[in-house]
Amino acid sequence: MKPIVEACLLPLLFLTVIWLAALRPGGPVMLVIPSVGALVMAMVLLSLFVRSGTLAPDRLMHQSRSALANSNGLVLLLCAAFASAAVINLVIPDDGVPALIGWAVLVSLLMQALAIAPDRQRLLRGLLVTFGAAFTLKFVILAAVSAPAESRTARILQLLFDGLTLGSISQRPPHPLEGYLALVTLVLYFIGLAMLPSARRRIEWVEQGVVVSGDRRPATGD
Amino acid sequence: MPPLREPVARLIGLATVAAYAVLIAWLFITQPRSVVEAVGGMSATLGTYQIDQQAFKDGLRFFRNDQFAEARAAFGRADPAGRDATTQFYIAYAYYRDGWRRTHSDDALFAEGVKAVDQAIALAPNHRLDVDDPDLLMRNADELKAELQDGLTRDASDFNPVRLFRSRK
Repeated sequence: MKPIVEACLLPLLFLTVIWLAALRPGGPVMLVIPSVGALVMAMVLLSLFVRSGTLAPDRLMHQSRSALANSNGLVLLLCAAFASAAVINLVIPDDGVPALIGWAVLVSLLMQALAIAPDRQRLLRGLLVTFGAAFTLKFVILAAVSAPAESRTARILQLLFDGLTLGSISQRPPHPLEGYLALVTLVLYFIGLAMLPSARRRIEWVEQGVVVSGDRRPATGD
Repeated sequence: MPPLREPVARLIGLATVAAYAVLIAWLFITQPRSVVEAVGGMSATLGTYQIDQQAFKDGLRFFRNDQFAEARAAFGRADPAGRDATTQFYIAYAYYRDGWRRTHSDDALFAEGVKAVDQAIALAPNHRLDVDDPDLLMRNADELKAELQDGLTRDASDFNPVRLFRSRK
């Protein structure tokens, strides 16, 4: 990985993800700090990245690297961790039953991923589906249910729905920009994840009757 | 252009990321409601923020003519980022005078007044604000805040007939 990417581009990308994910144009506060639960899940997510080879921490911090390079690596790790927390906070509904279901499903999926131990490609695909589904639930389905009704019939149906669910499903009506911002944030986050220094794939081959493993097979010359 | 040497690139990256992180932390702490507030807050932090003096004068003129809605609009124009303690004090005072009635007070206006005076106190050096204006009967932000909060409180003294003889400050 080029030093400028590791030291500048990726941390800036993740920092942008942090503030974009925290932005709530129509909310009671402008920038929402990630919850403790989101920070804990971000740690789980980070361990998943390491186990799957999506992130190779030894390529960011190692005794063979200079102090400056290790500082850059540490900054990148912190930025990736906080960006993960911010993105989790972004896609989980704010409150009520949807928040409870969102958390339960996310925790289950991440625990399942820890047990399955997927490789980099499968983990990224799985996360894309998980976060994509959570995004759709919050910014498409719940936003439609919670949006102010325009016609009288829609208002009656909404009142009936709120009455039947005791108001536990409806969320704060999102600002029209929020969905677009969330989509851009998720795209940036996944670009950042794809650019993280990944573990080099180890391959095995037989050399003079002995199984040898390494990053790449040396040229034999014949 | 020759490529940057690795330590230079790393150092530039570290400095840029640190500056960006500080900016984001500042945004989280100050919670600006708009870009204007964010820019105003940043310039106030750097000590370069200035209010629009003409709009402030307009606001004072409206305020003294008892045109409080117009005064608030002008003060708001003078201090769009809400970073000037004196202007926020006058906005709070305009809410007070606008919401004051001999028999009761307008809770909505007084509540907005409390918000504005709280902002003025938060912005003032050492959170102490005195405004040297002979036309005002309350020249201290704490005094104004107490008066506004008193107007929002419901208690037995609200039914005291002597209140009918009180005057607006």
